[in-house]
Amino acid sequence: MIFTTPMKQLVAVVLEPDVDNVTRELLRQGVMHFIGIREIASDWTAKLGEVAPLVSAARIAETRKRIENFLRIIDRLPVSGGGLNLDKLSAVDLEETNKALDKLASSLQGRRERQKALQQEILKLEDIQRQLELFGDIGTGIQARSQYSFLTIQAGTIQQSYLEPFGEALRDLPSVHLRYQDDNQQATLLVITMKRDDAAVSKILDKFGWADVELPQAGGMKPEVAHELDGKLKTLKEEQASMAAEVTRLVTDRQAWLEELWANLRMNELYTRIQSFFSKTAKTVVFSGWLPASRQQELEKALRRASQNRCYLEWHQPGELEEVERRSIPVKFANPRFLAPFQMLVENYSTPEYGTIDPTPLVAVAYLIMFGLMFGDAGHGAVLFLLGFLGTRLYRGAREGVRNLLRLITWCGASAIVAGVVFGSYFGLPWFEPLWFNYHGIVMGRGGGTGFVKDIYSILLITIYFGIAVIGLGLFLNWINLTVKREWLRLFLDKGGLIGGWMYAAGIYTAFYFVSHSYKELPPGGVLFWLLGLPSLILLAKPPLEFFLPHGTHGGHGIQGSPGARPAKRFTALTPVDFLMEWIVEMLEIFSGYLANTLSFMRVAGLGIAHVSLMVAFMQIAAMVGNGGRFTVGSYLVLIAGNVLVIALEGLSAGIQSLRLNYYEFFSKYFSGAGTNYTPVSLRSQD
Amino acid sequence: MPRPVKRYAFIHAKLRTRLSKMLSSDLLEQMIRAHSLQEAVQLLRGGAFDIIESVYSRTGDLKMAELELLKREIRLYTEVESYLDDELLRFLRALTARYEIENLKNLLRLWFDRNVRGRSIQEAAGYLLREKIHFDLNIEAVLEARDIETVLEALASTPYAQVIAPHAASAGETLFPLEVALDHFYYRMLVEETENLEPRDRRIARRLIGVEIDLQNIGWLVRFKDFYKLPLDEALPLMIPFGHNLDQQTLGEAYGGQSITAVVAGLIKKRYAALAPLLSGAGGEQTSRLVLIERVLSEIMMLEVRHILTGYPFAIGIVLAYFILKKN
Repeated sequence: MIFTTPMKQLVAVVLEPDVDNVTRELLRQGVMHFIGIREIASDWTAKLGEVAPLVSAARIAETRKRIENFLRIIDRLPVSGGGLNLDKLSAVDLEETNKALDKLASSLQGRRERQKALQQEILKLEDIQRQLELFGDIGTGIQARSQYSFLTIQAGTIQQSYLEPFGEALRDLPSVHLRYQDDNQQATLLVITMKRDDAAVSKILDKFGWADVELPQAGGMKPEVAHELDGKLKTLKEEQASMAAEVTRLVTDRQAWLEELWANLRMNELYTRIQSFFSKTAKTVVFSGWLPASRQQELEKALRRASQNRCYLEWHQPGELEEVERRSIPVKFANPRFLAPFQMLVENYSTPEYGTIDPTPLVAVAYLIMFGLMFGDAGHGAVLFLLGFLGTRLYRGAREGVRNLLRLITWCGASAIVAGVVFGSYFGLPWFEPLWFNYHGIVMGRGGGTGFVKDIYSILLITIYFGIAVIGLGLFLNWINLTVKREWLRLFLDKGGLIGGWMYAAGIYTAFYFVSHSYKELPPGGVLFWLLGLPSLILLAKPPLEFFLPHGTHGGHGIQGSPGARPAKRFTALTPVDFLMEWIVEMLEIFSGYLANTLSFMRVAGLGIAHVSLMVAFMQIAAMVGNGGRFTVGSYLVLIAGNVLVIALEGLSAGIQSLRLNYYEFFSKYFSGAGTNYTPVSLRSQD
Repeated sequence: MPRPVKRYAFIHAKLRTRLSKMLSSDLLEQMIRAHSLQEAVQLLRGGAFDIIESVYSRTGDLKMAELELLKREIRLYTEVESYLDDELLRFLRALTARYEIENLKNLLRLWFDRNVRGRSIQEAAGYLLREKIHFDLNIEAVLEARDIETVLEALASTPYAQVIAPHAASAGETLFPLEVALDHFYYRMLVEETENLEPRDRRIARRLIGVEIDLQNIGWLVRFKDFYKLPLDEALPLMIPFGHNLDQQTLGEAYGGQSITAVVAGLIKKRYAALAPLLSGAGGEQTSRLVLIERVLSEIMMLEVRHILTGYPFAIGIVLAYFILKKN
């Protein structure tokens, strides 16, 4: 848990006839983080040929994504992992697959074209509807063409036998026609069209022997016309919706087929991806990669079984391989599930280098303590805890990032509950005695302190002690990392190294001495020399050492140059000036940087004090809203609103500040973050 | 709080967030390579342009989806207007006039199609933006108009009637002079509004608008010279003044003598050296040359916008950058 998972490198050679079985087994096991065999710097690797797949993984992926796109129509998205069965893996014929998908696409497109045609009809009728709303009275429209309207309204008769072809002829134009009455063999119609279509409409009317008539009753027909229009529009929209439903049905009917296709494509894609890392000779195939050391035996057994023991497997520890850079070894976190939210915080920052400290458990402790100190209220903490807990239950299908965030909120809530009990704060009220000291009482100047905690300055002091502890821990972790990486120069002479630690400790002592002597006196000169002067002088050796030592590589023995060391430069007359300037800058960075980092932790106290102050303010507002000191409904509403605001604002603030302190003040001391993520090719791979 | 911060902090945050939601080049690439329109549109589902997929699924009509998107954009600008005051508000209104002018051009084209070319406009009329942006374009009246004079009457309550009136005589044959006049009007109005801005904002605005004008002019130059074969004395007055890099004299020389590609190459060499490799394929037949030049011009604009976005955040640049990126 404290260190990343130990890894091993495998270099394997198998016979060409066994490649298929071996590839399937590698995919089934899903533990190999493959590397190109040429990354192993050696003469022989350069002579290997590449294994060319029949179909590229990229083309397979493209077709696979096409299927995903279809499935999205019905809100289905296949998931890698358990649903993929290697026994069903078969060769893909991308051309045939895409032809079949083209056929499906064509069916869908046909429905969309019909929807579009219906939309055209709808637009035409909506045009008329818009114009009709401008009309006061249809009867007036028949008699006198209103200059404000763009409709032509006509009443007339045609033979009843012409009704159907008449309606068909008007279909292509935005129009409404109402059958008013039938008389002998004549039908009386009210026809409403757009004025801009007068010419076309006239032709149609002439064709069917239209005869204008007086229709005095037309005056009250606007609602009827509007109703007719609404009916037509409703029919069209319903048909449109049924087309949309048919699109969904077409995909649903083919869901099983699509999912089966998808699964086979996905497995082929992963299979091809694995083989893209293979290299070959005349009769063998070579590949290499990293996996967790704990999976070595299982993979070896599986590969020997798959190749009927006709394989050569060579295993290496990272330390054996001089030419391998630590940062190229993939890193797998080894944290228990309950630390997943904090691992997410670490991964958001960066991936630690292989073999160095995984800060996840430390971040968990530090983050929660910081949050608790800033948000110390049991009531508010309980609310956060409940929200986070319920969220994880309700949103089981959410992305892992969202679920981790909800888990983090749960943890923060728990931390706040503990802090609230310790400081005796329950929704800003002292319902129970604090286990340590009364935070509210101290902030409001009402006492409640205990031991050395008497006033706000004591609270600030606590946070400074906390900051010193965190920074000190960071330095210690850095020494461990540098020892693991055998970067001796940096271990001794870096500002994060032993000398830096010496100076930091000395700085703390000096600062406390100064404060304890009423800000009037520093430690004696001799003491100051041993504390700060000597290490400063020792640091003067760093720039020339970095300059003259050969550019170091990781591993090896003896003093190594730092990885950030410059390539060999020429020594000139100005070079000693460069050394001096570098030393001065480093001194400034050490003195100002450590001071700033330590004082930065005072924000923990600041936010805690702000939390208390806000609650006190809302209490006072509630009392003001009340009636002669008694709380009314209004007062309780103010309190509820105030608590909600404090939980939201302070919660967000505390969360962000805790993250900042971890990232900037803590990680900056030891976390190099130059690692490579462990990404094995497996059936569970998401990309 | 200093005035620029007070003025721009919220708008900057809002538009920056919007910018981050713009489609990535990967997604655009996927959409271009999609096998069918349905599949291309489906890729937008669940993203910032979900509305396109939603409207398309309901209507099967991509133009309806585009119209809905346009309405959404205009609503955004209206919302941004509510955060501004004084000269900034007037400037933003001038910027958003672009949408109204484009809508007016579409309207005039439909009128032209129906009245001059005798074509049916039944389908196209439904896709006009009917929401008022600044002025009521009296869409139905324009569509119903039998002649250009009636169109002008319908537009009498807008400033556009006076803009297109001098070119009414040509409306029976071509809308080109009217459209050019509208473009001139837009840029003139925009540049006039920059005079009221504070010095830093004015500098930024004039530069970006000037670059846009340069690119518009170069694009027109190529078309006038290579496709429409207009003589110099007819083409030059059509160029929009207020360009940033190219003045009327340079444009005239380019039109009269040098190839347009050489003008663009000269501009790149002088101001945008990083884009030089793009012009290495210049030459060849007219259409591909035009396509190449248009691509180069687009890259120039993107370079200017990126320059703005990495600069001082509390200035008019973010508003302009958003407009330009959206347009492109």
